[in-house]
This record gives sequence, C-alpha cells and structure tokens, in this order.
Amino acid sequence: MPTDTSAPIVSMRHISMQFPGVLANDDVSLDIRKGEVFALVGENGAGKSTLMNILYGMNTPSQGEVYIKGEKITDFSPSQAIAHGVGMVHQHFMLVPSFTVAQNIVLSSEPRKGIFYDFKEACRITEHLVEEYGLKVHPTDRVCDISVGLQQRVEILKTFYRGADVLILDEPTAVLTPQETDELFQVIRSIVREKQMTVIIITHKLYEVMAISDRVGVMRQGHLVDVCRTQDVNERILASMMVGKEVLLDALDRSECTDQEVALSVDHLEVLDNRSLPAVRGLSLSVRKGEILGIAGIEGNGQSELIEAITGMRAVQGGHVYVLGQETTGWKPGKIRKLGLAHVPEDRLSTGVSGQADITENLIVGKESLPRFSIARIHMKKQPMRAYAQEKFNAFDIRGAGVDTRVGSLSGGNMQKVVVAREFSFDSTVLIISQPTRGVDIGAMDFIHKQIMDKRNHGCAILLVSADLDELYRLSDRLVTIYEGQITGTFTPGSIPKTEISYYMTGGRKEEAQ
Amino acid sequence: MNWSTIFSMGTLMNTINTSTIVILAALGCLMTDQAGMMNIGIDGMMTVGAFAAVMGSWLCDSWVMGLVFALASGLLFGLFYGVFVIRFRSDEFIIGVALNIFAVALTTFILRSIPGQTGSFHPQTGRVVKLPSLHLGVLGGTNINVSIMIPIAWALVIIAWIFLYKTPEGFWLHASGEHPESLRSMGRSPEKMKYIASVICGLMCSLSGAYLSLGYLSTFTENMSASRGYVAVACVIFGRSNPPLVFLATLLFGFIDAAGQRMQGIVDPTLTATFPYIGTILMMVLLALRQAGRRRRAARA
Amino acid sequence: MKRRERMEYLLSLLVSVLLAFLLGGIIMAATGHSPLDGYGALFTGAFGNQRAIGNTLYKSFQLCMTGLATAVASQGGIFNVGGEGQMYLGALASCWLGAVLSGHSPFLVIPLCLLAAIIAGALYALIPALLKIKLHISEVITTILMNSIAIYFCTYMANGPLKTSEKGVSQGTASLDKVFQFSKLIKGSNLTESVFLIAIISVLVWYLMSRTTTGYRMKLTGQNQRFAVFAGLNASTLGILGMLISGAMCGMLGMFECFGLQTRFKPDFSNEFYFDGMLVAMIMRYRPLGTILMSFFFGILKIGAITMQSKTGISSELILIVQSIIIFFMAAEEGILQNLRRRRAARMAQTVITKGGGEG
Repeated sequence: MPTDTSAPIVSMRHISMQFPGVLANDDVSLDIRKGEVFALVGENGAGKSTLMNILYGMNTPSQGEVYIKGEKITDFSPSQAIAHGVGMVHQHFMLVPSFTVAQNIVLSSEPRKGIFYDFKEACRITEHLVEEYGLKVHPTDRVCDISVGLQQRVEILKTFYRGADVLILDEPTAVLTPQETDELFQVIRSIVREKQMTVIIITHKLYEVMAISDRVGVMRQGHLVDVCRTQDVNERILASMMVGKEVLLDALDRSECTDQEVALSVDHLEVLDNRSLPAVRGLSLSVRKGEILGIAGIEGNGQSELIEAITGMRAVQGGHVYVLGQETTGWKPGKIRKLGLAHVPEDRLSTGVSGQADITENLIVGKESLPRFSIARIHMKKQPMRAYAQEKFNAFDIRGAGVDTRVGSLSGGNMQKVVVAREFSFDSTVLIISQPTRGVDIGAMDFIHKQIMDKRNHGCAILLVSADLDELYRLSDRLVTIYEGQITGTFTPGSIPKTEISYYMTGGRKEEAQ
Repeated sequence: MNWSTIFSMGTLMNTINTSTIVILAALGCLMTDQAGMMNIGIDGMMTVGAFAAVMGSWLCDSWVMGLVFALASGLLFGLFYGVFVIRFRSDEFIIGVALNIFAVALTTFILRSIPGQTGSFHPQTGRVVKLPSLHLGVLGGTNINVSIMIPIAWALVIIAWIFLYKTPEGFWLHASGEHPESLRSMGRSPEKMKYIASVICGLMCSLSGAYLSLGYLSTFTENMSASRGYVAVACVIFGRSNPPLVFLATLLFGFIDAAGQRMQGIVDPTLTATFPYIGTILMMVLLALRQAGRRRRAARA
Repeated sequence: MKRRERMEYLLSLLVSVLLAFLLGGIIMAATGHSPLDGYGALFTGAFGNQRAIGNTLYKSFQLCMTGLATAVASQGGIFNVGGEGQMYLGALASCWLGAVLSGHSPFLVIPLCLLAAIIAGALYALIPALLKIKLHISEVITTILMNSIAIYFCTYMANGPLKTSEKGVSQGTASLDKVFQFSKLIKGSNLTESVFLIAIISVLVWYLMSRTTTGYRMKLTGQNQRFAVFAGLNASTLGILGMLISGAMCGMLGMFECFGLQTRFKPDFSNEFYFDGMLVAMIMRYRPLGTILMSFFFGILKIGAITMQSKTGISSELILIVQSIIIFFMAAEEGILQNLRRRRAARMAQTVITKGGGEG
C-alpha cells in the first residue's frame, strides 16, 4: 500500500512543452509514488500523452525537469528512460509487423551468439517472460498475424524484458474487448502487488479510473488541474474537472420527422479488408430520410470497409447497396455521387482533401463543370470560384489566412470544416459521415454537429460512424452496434446507457437483432 | 537457330559477368529498400564508381587503388544521397533521377577536362590496370578466367543475406524502413540505420562500377552504366529485396543479355541489345500479374 | 499565405541558381579555367550574333516543349522519364511516312506526318501509363528502360529495313522532300518554322494545365489520387491522358527535329535533350508557366555552353552539372527551410516560456 511519506519514484517539475502553435503542457508538476497505479485522465488534446512522452524521453520539454528515482534526467531519450527503468506502451503500437513476437520483444537489445542474433535464446527469453507474468503469447508468431489484444501483450512484455518497473500505458483499453480489458487489469494488479511495479495509465474512460487506480490526475488544456485519491472522488466529479464548466454543449435542435421513405439500404453486404480477409459479413441496414443512423463499434470491426463499399471506394464481394431506390452495387464513386450521395471520409488528410491544393480548389471539386464556374464545361471562371469559396469560408468559419491557403497547412478542425463545407454543399439526400470530429477542438465539434443536425432536419438520410459514443448519443435517432462485420443490436440512444452498449460492441448479441 | 550456341560455356560466362555487375548494384539498392528508401540513383553511383576506379587505377598504376578510389566515391555519394533523402526529406525519386544526370555530367566533364579525352578514356601515358582474374583451367578449348570480383560478389550475396536475416543490426535496418518509430521508441535512431543503408548502397554501387570499368575492360566510357542501374532496381523489386532471390533475378537478366549477344549472328546486334530491357520489363509485368492474381484468388476464397 | 509561399519559393530558386553558378565557377577554377572567361564565353555564345540568338531561341523552344511534356504528365501523377524514346519513335514514324509520301502535296503530307508522330509518341507513352495504373509498376523504371528499347529499335530500323538507298549516306531513312522540311528563320541557325508550332502547342498545354477543368482535375489526381477517386474523378483516365499528351508532344518534337534540321531520320539526331527539358520542369516543380519561362534561361545556358567549350575548353557538361545542382537544392529546399523554421520556433518558445515563467 503506497504511503504519502515515501519518496516519489518519478518527479516531474514545472514541465512546459511548446509545439509550433500549441502549448501542449503548461507548467505541470507531478509526483508518482512507488507501487501505485496512477491514472492520468483528460479529454483529447489535454496534453496527457505529451507529458508521458516526455517522461519516456520521446520529447524534450521546452522547460522543466524530470527526476526518476531521485536522478535528474539530463538527456531526454528513450534509452535514458529505459536505463532508469521506465517502459511505455504507446497508443499506436511500436511493433514491426513482419517480425515475430520474440523478435519484437528483444528488438534493439537482442541476445547474440557471436555477431549473430540468437533465435533460440530470444524464444527462451520470451517463454520465460510469458511464464513469469502470465501474459500468454507465442514467440514465433508474426506480429501482423496476431490480434490487437495479443499485440498489446507483446508491447508490455517488451518493457518487462528491459527491466521496467515504471510502466506507462497510453489508452491501453481503446482497442480491447471488455474481456481483454479485465485481463489487462488483472495483470496490472498482479504486477503492482507482486513485483512492486508502478503503473501510470492514460485514459479517458472514467469507470476504468475508478476500477484500477489508486490516485488520479486530471489534465485540461495542458494544465494539471488536480491530483486526488481515487477513493475520494467519483466519475461525476472527475468528469466536471475534465471538461470544466465552460464547454457544456447545448442540446441540438431536433425536428420531428414524418418522412418514412428509405433512402439508403444495404442488403447482406460482404466486403474484404486490405489483407483480403472478410471485414463486412452479411450486413444489412437501412436509413430513412430525416434520420441519423449511428454505427457504434470498436475500430477495426468493418466500419471503414462498410463505408468504402457503400461509397464505391472498395469492391463488394456479395450483397447489394441501394441508394434512393437504385441499386449502386459496384458503381464508381463519381456515379454514386451524381445520384445524390455525399461522403465525409474518416481519414481527411489521405482521402478528404488534397493537402497541396488551396481551399478554393478543395471546395470546388465536383462543381467545376457547373455553368456558374465554367464556360462550356472547359474554361474555368476563377473569379466566381473564389467568390464561392469565400462565401463557404465565411459560412463555415474556416480559420486560415484566406481561400488561397494550402489546405495541408490548416489545423485538423479547419481541414475538417473544408471537407464538411464541400460535402454538405451538394444537396445530396444521402450523407455518409465517418468520424466527423476526430482530432477537432470542442468549438469546431459543436459547429459540425449543428451542421449535421441541420441536414437531418432538412430531410437527409445520414449514416454516421464514430468512435466517440458521446457523439453518437448526441446525434443519432437510431444506433446499431457492429462487431466483426455484423450488426449485433439496434437501439435508440435513450433506451440504453453508454456503459451497457459496449457489451454489444464487443460481441454480445441482442435477441431481437437476430 | 542453333541452340548449342545459346547454351554454351561462353553464354554462361557472359551471364555471370553481366549478372555480377547488376547484383553488386542491386545488393546496395536492396539495402536502401529495406530501410524504406527506393534508390533510383544507383545508376549514377555506378557511373561515378566506374570512373573513380579507372582514375585510381591509372593514377596509382594499381587495381587496388582503383578499388579504393571507387569505394571512396561510393562512400561520398551514399552519404550525399542520405543527407538529402533522410535529413532534408527530399523526394527520393527526384534526388535519384537528378543524381543519375549529375553523375553522367560530372564524369563526362572531368573526363573531357583531361587533355585529349572524349568519349572514352585512353591515356597517352601510363596504363589502366585491370582487376586480376583467376585462371580456372581450360574447358572445351576455352580458357576459363574469372575476375576476382565474381567470387566477391557471390560472397557478398551471402553476407548480405546473413546480415539482413541473421544479425540484430540487419533487423534494425529493416525496422528503420518498416516501422521506424518502433526502433526510436527503443532508443535507437532509425535515421542512423538509414544512413548506414545509404552508405552501403554507395559502396556496393561503386564496386559494381569498378567491375564495369576494370573487370573485363580497362577503360571508362561516357554514360557507361547504360541504364543497368535501373535494371538492378527492377531486379530488387522482382526479388522482393531478398538477396538470394534478387541474385536469381540478376542471373535471369544476365542470361537474357548473354543469349541476346549469342544470337547476334542471326538477329541484328542493335536489335538484340533491346532484349535485356524488354526482358526486365516483362519480368516486372509477370511479377505484378502474379501478385494481382494471388490477391484475386484470396478474394475468392 | 499562398503569395508568401510563392515568394519564398522564388527566393529559394534565386539562391539555388546563384549557388549553383558559384559551384560551377569553382569547378571551372578547379579545372584550371577562369570562371569569368567561362561565363563570358557562355554569354557571347548565346547572344554574340544573329546565328547564336537563333540557336538560343530554338533551344529554348525545344526545352519548353520537353519541359511541358514532363510537366503535363506529372500533373496527372506520372513521372515521364521516357520522353527520349517517345521522341525517337515519333521522329521515325513521321520520317518514314514523309519518305513514303514523297511527291505529294505538303499540305497533305505534313499534317499526316504530324499525326503519325503524335500517335507513335502517345502510344509508346501509353504502355508505361497502363502498367503504372493497372499493375502499379513504377513508371520511372519502365520509361527509362523503354528509352533504350526505342533508341536501339529506331537505330536498327534506320540502318536496316528503312535504310535509305541514297549513296553516300551512312545511316538514316530516305530523305524528305524539300517542300516538307521546315525552313530556317535565321540563316545558318537552327531556328526553323517549327517554333511557331511549338509556341502554339505550348500555349495550348499551358491553357489546358492551368485554366481548364480537365487540367484542374488532373492536378488533383496527381496530388492525391485517393482523394481524386473519392471526389468522383476518373483518376486512371486523367493519369493516362497526361501521359498521352506528354508522349504526343515528345513525338512531335522528334518530327520537328528531323523535318527541320536533319532532312531525314538519323539515329543520332538527339543528344538526350529530353532530359534537359525534364530538368527544367523539375526545377519549376512542373508548373507550366514557370517551365516556359525557365526554358529560355536554360536555352541561353545550353547554347552558350557550346561556345564556352570551343573557346575556353570547358566542357559543356558543366551546365548539366549546374542544372542538377539546382535540382538538388530545390528538392532539399523544403527540408532545409523546415529545419531553419523549427530551430527558430524552438528558440522563440524558449524565450516566451522563460518570460512567462519569470512573471508567474
């Protein structure tokens, strides 16, 4: 049991971190005690990961000092952190996909026989670690062939191999099923109890904080707002500390909808992922006009492939897609768009915009041949184009130097506004929207939500995919849960609490859905 | 057509000669490929290596110095490529293409700056010492002489394979290309591995160039590599950057080249000269078709 | 913002050009020549007399054509390194047809030959374009290998099946009728009537690339192919279109060379001058107007270099060295600037935080 009097194992003093244009950490001081589980919570972009990346030496702070076990860190690098017994499991795993489990565990500190890599010894080390910590993995499996849950175990074993006794876990449960999460928490409890290790866990799921941590630190906009003993707080208190008072969102204006006409339907759709494995498996759904259908699911359960198949970006293996009563299975994206479908893609930088082109050029795509913008569909009329872009620029409150700004130089939120401004300008009846507010600040998020609701109130049929349950609950008229390419349940947001829906997102089945 | 002329000892020797030029450069290229950089500039590095080898051999009257000069130029150009692609994050294709043009221009310029030299290098004084050959005996009336570079190249294929697949350093090199952050998070610099790959690439290409100019000829000709660097790149793609497989690809290329030369009695030599290039393109098309077919079969299953 | 970027780019270009010339001067000095004499000879070589000016102009137009050919393919996302081969085939096809149609009206023959050159060049460019789009085979490798194939093939044809029967001609196809040939605008120079055609083609290509909806769509395709597909554009067609135009331009230039300067197809009619234009386009980042303007600058250098070589003994390859050095600088420009900016930002952050910390 940690006591308040023991010397801190990690001490961060007055840490500030300046990135171009963003102060990610602002004078943060934090002590971690030996043998505790410390939870670091905060919204996206609050600076949690930045702070922990500094502790792990991936970033050098603009200002401030870090002490590990009483020693001051002078040279910020992962090797220094590792030498001081700090290990980190990153949100995006640091594993080489084509290497085996054992190879990844020993990467950069490989056992050798002479100058050669010692395959046998690496496997033995791995098996030994597996035995000692009860994290089952198979040393000779390739990392690209094993599940995300197992990959996380490999990451944890990597840190143990290097003798870490301070373990940082960045959003470890984001990709796990509830069962895997339980297992992870058991591991955390046992290493703390039996090996006297210290664990820092970054998360924004508050019930997990309550379940696992001894103390919790709350971050907001780069500041460490408070540090408390977990037993002294509850989820509600933490939530209000995380968000602050000023960002409570107004309720959205949702009009009654009477139109019952189905605008988009998907019938027993089968789609493969990039590795040619089934991603969408016999999935059916339909969206009516004036309805937002939300798809809730853990990432990688076929959402992306479903959206790409509907919009014509990916081949359909079986089943049918109907847009406004017309079968569009196998059509090219351009043809489907002409029928009346617009699409806000999940990855805006690689799919949603051309980063090298300016705002005008990005806003005009799909309209360049209109008489308003061209003579005989050939000659571009630049002035009307600019004027149109300026109009959208103002209406969507895009913050940039002007419509000549390269889109690649915009922030995530403004780039997303460009995508939304374009996709919402086609008068399409069907809107496919994927992760509309990922990496977007709260102001822009609220704005985009209002735009989506406005489209719904004007009779659009909207299919919404999001990893953010709050967003789905705020916008959706109906919710379906997706797991391994199949629908596991249909709900109305009011009928099921967020804590329960995750059961269906991780393989649980609702009886009526069968 | 007389098949025995095509499948003869001479063809075999020609195959080995040509493939040796290509495999040396390809070994360099596959190192950069494993480290996540497709180096199109190996053609230029070969040209410079060939030139430096001739200069070294001529100035010092020694083939060893020829090799030393070539390796020095390879080191320099490998670093040069690395600085631009790794440090300045320049487009690797643009740097590669510019490097090739630069190499031809530079060597031609220096060659023409030597009094009385244009086209190819024919010194009035001194001599260009060839790389030594090993005499392996007489077979079917033909003397079998093998340049020392041939066993060296073969050994290097094995060494490269061992390095990449049997040593930790080889893993780091590969990791720096496939997932650089995994290496960085373990406290190792992926950039350093990428630099090492560029330098190895430069050295290997310079050896290839040295064999080109001092192997069975002993002169340097303007634009000497004749796009063989690009053939090497194609072989690397064909052999999926695995040294033994790449070696097989270069042998195939070498055979097409040699068979073409053997057919000169029947077909016009200008026409047979196109065979290796057509063969290389066909090789790449076949590989791509096979991959596409495999994807389609997987989709159906 | 965009204007500032453009100014930054022009400044970088200016600095790169100056540095490259400085390096060129150093190379001259290192090889025992006076850089002043060298560059002086270069200047007089380009402008010294009427003939020199004619040659310089012609070279500029030639660079303009090849540069735009590179640029238009790149705008659609394909890097055409194979213009040399396309040029050879265009030249051979048009010369062969011109020789066959000897005696007919030039008003019939020249357009037909032009068409032959266009078709030959465009078809030869279509192959790597299709391989790239359908099979994802790198066009850089296929086009460069196809250069060698085309040059050997044309050489074979000109010395073999299509060799002229005229006496005293060592190689080449049968000669073209006098009336088919482009006549010289300045006597003794290379400046032929073909520059009018080049000017028209260049304006058309510039217009296509920067003022039409098709050019705009091609640009988006080249910048981000996935985005183009997502936005409903036919990305494959646009990429292929760029290559077809590029190949057609190279084919036509091949014809202009032979119909203007050679009187027949000769296997050595080109001295790899496609690559000169390609470098110009690369330096100007494939922007059409920039490529056109820069062509004139490099036209001066290229022609001046010939005189420089004959007068001072400095090899004209020096200009190619200077050109590639400019490309190195321009390719690294963004990286260098980023490094500088980051360093400046870090320094500024340090001072801001120090100040803020002092107050708090």
